[in-house]
Amino acid sequence: MALPLLESMQHSSAAQAARQASHPRRLAFFYIPNGVVQSAWNMPDVGRDYTLSPTLKPIESVRENMLVLSNLDRIKVAGTDGHAQASTCWLSSAAPDELSPAGYPLKRTIDQIIADKAGLRTSFRSLELSCNPYEDNRESIYFDNISWFGHGHVARSLRDPAEVFNRLFRIEEHVNSSSVLDLVMEDAKNLQPQLSKLDQHKLAEYTEAVRTVEQQITRVRRRQNDIAKLNPKTPIKPWQAMRRDEFIQVMGDLMILALQSDLTRVATLMTGPERWGSPLNVEGWFDKPIQHHSWTHGQHNEAIRKQLEKLDRFHVEQFVQLVKKMGAISEGDGTLLDNTAFMLGSGLSSGEHHVCNNLPTLIAGRCGGAIQTGQHVRYAEGTPIANLWCSLAKAMGVDRNRLGDSTGLINEIS
Amino acid sequence: MSLLTPQMDNSLPADPGISASPSDRTPRDLMPANPKRPQLLACLLALALTVGLAYPRTEANQVPPTEEQTESRQGPTKFFDYHQVRGRQSQRVASGKLEGELDFSLQGRSRMQGMTPFGPQWSNNAHLLWDGVIGDSMKSSFEVESSGIYDVSIQLTLAGDYGIFRMTLPQSSITKEIDLYSTRVELAPMVVLKDLKLESGPQIIEFELIGANPKARKYQNRGYLMGLDYLQLTRKSPEPTNPASAAPTQSKTTFQNKTKETQDLKSDATNTNGAKHKQELTPQEISNFTKTFCTDCHHAESEETDINFVISSDDQAWHQDPMLLRQARNELKDHEMPPEGSDQPSTEQRSAMVSTLNSMLSDYVRSNQVASPTAMRRMTRYEYNNAVRDLLHLRGDIYPLPEKTLRAFAPYFEPSKGHSPRAILVGNRTLGKNQVERQILTGVNPFAIDLQAEAGFNNRGEDLGVSPILLESLLRLGRSIVHSPEFDGYCGLTDSLFSEPEQQDQKNTLDVARERISRLLERAFRAPIDASTINRYHAYFEARQNETKNFRTAMKDVVAAILASPRFVYLAESATASDGKLLGGYEIATRLSIFLWSSIPDEELLKTARDGTLLDPEILDAQTQRMLVDPKCHALTQNFARQWLRLDQLVTAVPDFDRFPRYYSRIGCEQWKFGLQMMVEPLLLFDSIVMEDRSIMLLIDCNYSYRSDELQSWYEDVVPFGDRENRNRFNTNRQQYTRRKLTDRREGGVITSAATMTMTSSPLRTNPITRGAWVATVILNRPPPPPPDTVPPIEADDRDIESSGLTLRQRLTQHQKSAQCAACHSQIDPLGFVLENYDAVGRWRSSYTSGLDIDSSGELLGKLKFTNIIEFKDALLQHPELFMRAFAEHMLSYALGRELTVADESTVDTILQGTLETNGQFTTVIREIVQSQAFRYYVDESAVQATR
Repeated sequence: MALPLLESMQHSSAAQAARQASHPRRLAFFYIPNGVVQSAWNMPDVGRDYTLSPTLKPIESVRENMLVLSNLDRIKVAGTDGHAQASTCWLSSAAPDELSPAGYPLKRTIDQIIADKAGLRTSFRSLELSCNPYEDNRESIYFDNISWFGHGHVARSLRDPAEVFNRLFRIEEHVNSSSVLDLVMEDAKNLQPQLSKLDQHKLAEYTEAVRTVEQQITRVRRRQNDIAKLNPKTPIKPWQAMRRDEFIQVMGDLMILALQSDLTRVATLMTGPERWGSPLNVEGWFDKPIQHHSWTHGQHNEAIRKQLEKLDRFHVEQFVQLVKKMGAISEGDGTLLDNTAFMLGSGLSSGEHHVCNNLPTLIAGRCGGAIQTGQHVRYAEGTPIANLWCSLAKAMGVDRNRLGDSTGLINEIS
Repeated sequence: MSLLTPQMDNSLPADPGISASPSDRTPRDLMPANPKRPQLLACLLALALTVGLAYPRTEANQVPPTEEQTESRQGPTKFFDYHQVRGRQSQRVASGKLEGELDFSLQGRSRMQGMTPFGPQWSNNAHLLWDGVIGDSMKSSFEVESSGIYDVSIQLTLAGDYGIFRMTLPQSSITKEIDLYSTRVELAPMVVLKDLKLESGPQIIEFELIGANPKARKYQNRGYLMGLDYLQLTRKSPEPTNPASAAPTQSKTTFQNKTKETQDLKSDATNTNGAKHKQELTPQEISNFTKTFCTDCHHAESEETDINFVISSDDQAWHQDPMLLRQARNELKDHEMPPEGSDQPSTEQRSAMVSTLNSMLSDYVRSNQVASPTAMRRMTRYEYNNAVRDLLHLRGDIYPLPEKTLRAFAPYFEPSKGHSPRAILVGNRTLGKNQVERQILTGVNPFAIDLQAEAGFNNRGEDLGVSPILLESLLRLGRSIVHSPEFDGYCGLTDSLFSEPEQQDQKNTLDVARERISRLLERAFRAPIDASTINRYHAYFEARQNETKNFRTAMKDVVAAILASPRFVYLAESATASDGKLLGGYEIATRLSIFLWSSIPDEELLKTARDGTLLDPEILDAQTQRMLVDPKCHALTQNFARQWLRLDQLVTAVPDFDRFPRYYSRIGCEQWKFGLQMMVEPLLLFDSIVMEDRSIMLLIDCNYSYRSDELQSWYEDVVPFGDRENRNRFNTNRQQYTRRKLTDRREGGVITSAATMTMTSSPLRTNPITRGAWVATVILNRPPPPPPDTVPPIEADDRDIESSGLTLRQRLTQHQKSAQCAACHSQIDPLGFVLENYDAVGRWRSSYTSGLDIDSSGELLGKLKFTNIIEFKDALLQHPELFMRAFAEHMLSYALGRELTVADESTVDTILQGTLETNGQFTTVIREIVQSQAFRYYVDESAVQATR
């Protein structure tokens, strides 16, 4: 598919400028909802010469850049909705005793923990994107977000590529607002002493946001000239008019652009929300609107399972396309992909029984040499995926020995 | 007997795309249940005897029933006719006036004309205007609620270009001629037709233009005009028999309007345990009870359930778990537990245990002083829009809001008139074509939509945070609103706030600015403003003015900052005084305006906040009533009702293209779905209940509905939209929705609306479980627990199921053999099965396409048996406390912006009591909520730990 955004980048002087700069490590997540068909995902053998499973066929061309991990688990939190916890707890591995008032364990997620450090110097501390295509209000925020600052404090994602584009690349969106920010910060201070502890906590979200935005404006404006030189094309088509694959690719392109031009080093891309029983068109792959969630519960029926496997392949295919794009962007002697860890995963391994054992996990890229790719590694049963979070944090220069139920690190990441 | 309208009883060949067969429309199919009626009676009587339920028995039918009604209502029990509840009555309605411009069907060359320029004497300041040439006639009709002898007074208008008319009431064989010419525009002498015998239903009235006074001048050089101000019916006989049924004269202060029936009911319905006098169980007896009936399943090692009554060795630990106590009490009381097939306690055992659990719960609530705080939250984007609009006196919205579904093309929502118009022209912003204003103020864009909590609303503190992205949006919004090119013409404060003072010396300018800023801050922050805050904003103004040399620009910059301030966007309440205190005036004012208007207080409300009079419950009630007749309370429909009904789910409902082609405007245009018209129907019903202050029970069963002609066709015709082929089958823009009398009780109310039926279906079949869960959540406020991880799948297409000779119901039942599934599904599914006669797009069917019979029988809460939808509605009407409680809970949760807990039960009991006393009058629910302790008092979060 033609990708005007990225093409315009390849020869721009800014890309060259970026190439000459040092090459930071970057981390991105590609989330697929509702788990995958396990039988078509899993592979019998491990090591470098593993045989690709049907669903993973599309990674053939990039397998040298791919680390495939099996048997990583998440703690299941009984009594809360299986899908809502899949999205909210995936990146935090929060434990059952960490329930928020809403019933979901909402610890700060690993992307935000890493952004606390990795985002100190970039224009945007992190980037949260979503290709949620639904225009109804069917589910609550817990189904629709994988990135959280903490309890009740969502790092809400942007769904509209045009909005993402403007935020990243239009300098006039970042007006110097320091005097306004001073005013409203003072209002917050006035308000604060009258509030209960709970409400003070709520207000802290606001003051934290003020500080983040203050820094962001300064940093964006500092890179004003750089960004002006990038001059990428606006995605002209409204997302509602995009095909499903186009939507994911355009959003992915924006993410890659932001990583490539060091506007941010941490990003999450949620391809779609959990559950959300509304039908969805996947043009070119399915003739009729599909029912992702209800299919997952019907997958022991072979006809349904075949459809679902096709949908899983569709997602892997989208991921691989983005991986290839990263691999085509030169950075120094290597590529953007070499300096990035780009992970595909889901908070459920299979949607059929809301299982959290053996979560689908693919990591593309070497993250500046930290990741030994080109192999499939099967961990001992019951290995927490939190170990992976700690390892990715380490690769990104953040020391975090414990997170959730972690018991150690992943050997292939250093 | 037939309950069917003649139109429905037709037998055109079925559209292959619509799963209705000709036989669907025979009257036979509706009431196969008649033989079972005695059974229902026996059951209800038995129930009344054993459980002590009392239901209202009134002879309150003001309307002498027609033959049809007599039969349909001749059940074992007579129940209250909720249609007679008419709270808010303008004088006009109280006197039986039917306004020409409102109550007559406007068609052809009829239109409304405002008469204020000609004087104050016209009723409702308007009349119906018609024009034609000699020989033309205006035919219209008006509704007569009940048969009887009436005097009919007709008020017409006179003017220089008005003609001579022959007025005919064909059903009464009355004819009268009138010359409407006059040199001035004035009211005509009243025409009074005495002692007419009128049947209930539509009365035709015809005005034929037969000539003109020689002095009259022609209208548009060709014809003459006529003006009808109002028609008034005065009932001579029979006299209304029951004082309660004399709706027009019903007192507005209905708090005192008690009847014996409702009191009897109250004592049962509002007392949740219902058996306080009975012997309560000792701890040993409790333990014996759980061992006998519960712990087989509910034990610590159970794989099937998280609920257990034995935690380690301590089998009394659960006595301190209020949520579990409540759940156990409710499920036991409603016969949901123990599940069918298990040993059941005797009636006495059950009621003793219910009563015991209830005492344990009350003791717990009392001794732990639990109450839930309302967390501080930011405004939703809906509220932010309204708040900015009202703060700056803008003419309309600031950004496109698809969630404001109803887009009116002329203001129709005017509750002060006490009457919902007969015809309403609206579009659907959410789904319609070109209905979302692309740009209202250029460059102003809303932030992301706020999602609804599961089984709740989108206004909960824990779900409404401020992230950096949102703060960016707020900063941008402030700037873009005041600096958009249309702003000056759109804003009502252009002169009083933004214009430069006339005396332009520096000191005066700054003084004026200071004064204006301080007043604006008070309204924006809904609080008294201290000098230092004024100083800060004033200093900002001065700096901006020095920089821009422009008063207006500087003032706009101040406004932009205010719109991003936490004191504007957060609904904050002070915790500085001790816990459990009465909220301050400004705080109550804000709660009230956010609740009723989804906006900030207006000047009148602020005044009562400022002087503290709002703390007086009577003033608070007066303000509530004032606000309820303000058009701004349309937010109750647009924001509350839309969310409560979860109508958003209709947005993405996709009935199969091939199976239901007529749901789509045409093939290739799948985005234009008939759901856009369906969605309007329940909202306009809700509107009418608010405007006319009717009973909320009309949401369950109602004898009228607002429908477009196309929507009517959807319900009524075997092939909807007639012979329109695959091309623009229905209107996707605006439509006129007309109030239609429903004579068939399968229709009416929100449950059976095509909107609900469609959005709770799958593409190729109905989905009884989704429907049941919808009814359980929306109508009964008993949201089912989340489905277990193992959900057995079921075929997506009912044809596949039926090809094996099974109905969907049999198939689902097959699949729920395990006790674990059956326990919940036996509660949820009957609420969906009873709706099986409505297909996946909300059309009636008497059998499945394969010819298999539909079984819509079931039980409500394990006790009220029904065999079809009408009996189901009857069951709800006979136990109004079920729906009224649920509705009150939903609304209280919305008003407080939080989930309700066990600690709120007594509040709900009180609201329910008041609501029962007025037979569900809408404003009672609101007024009771506003008067409640939960609404007026502050609760500190220290109580949180106890309730969680």
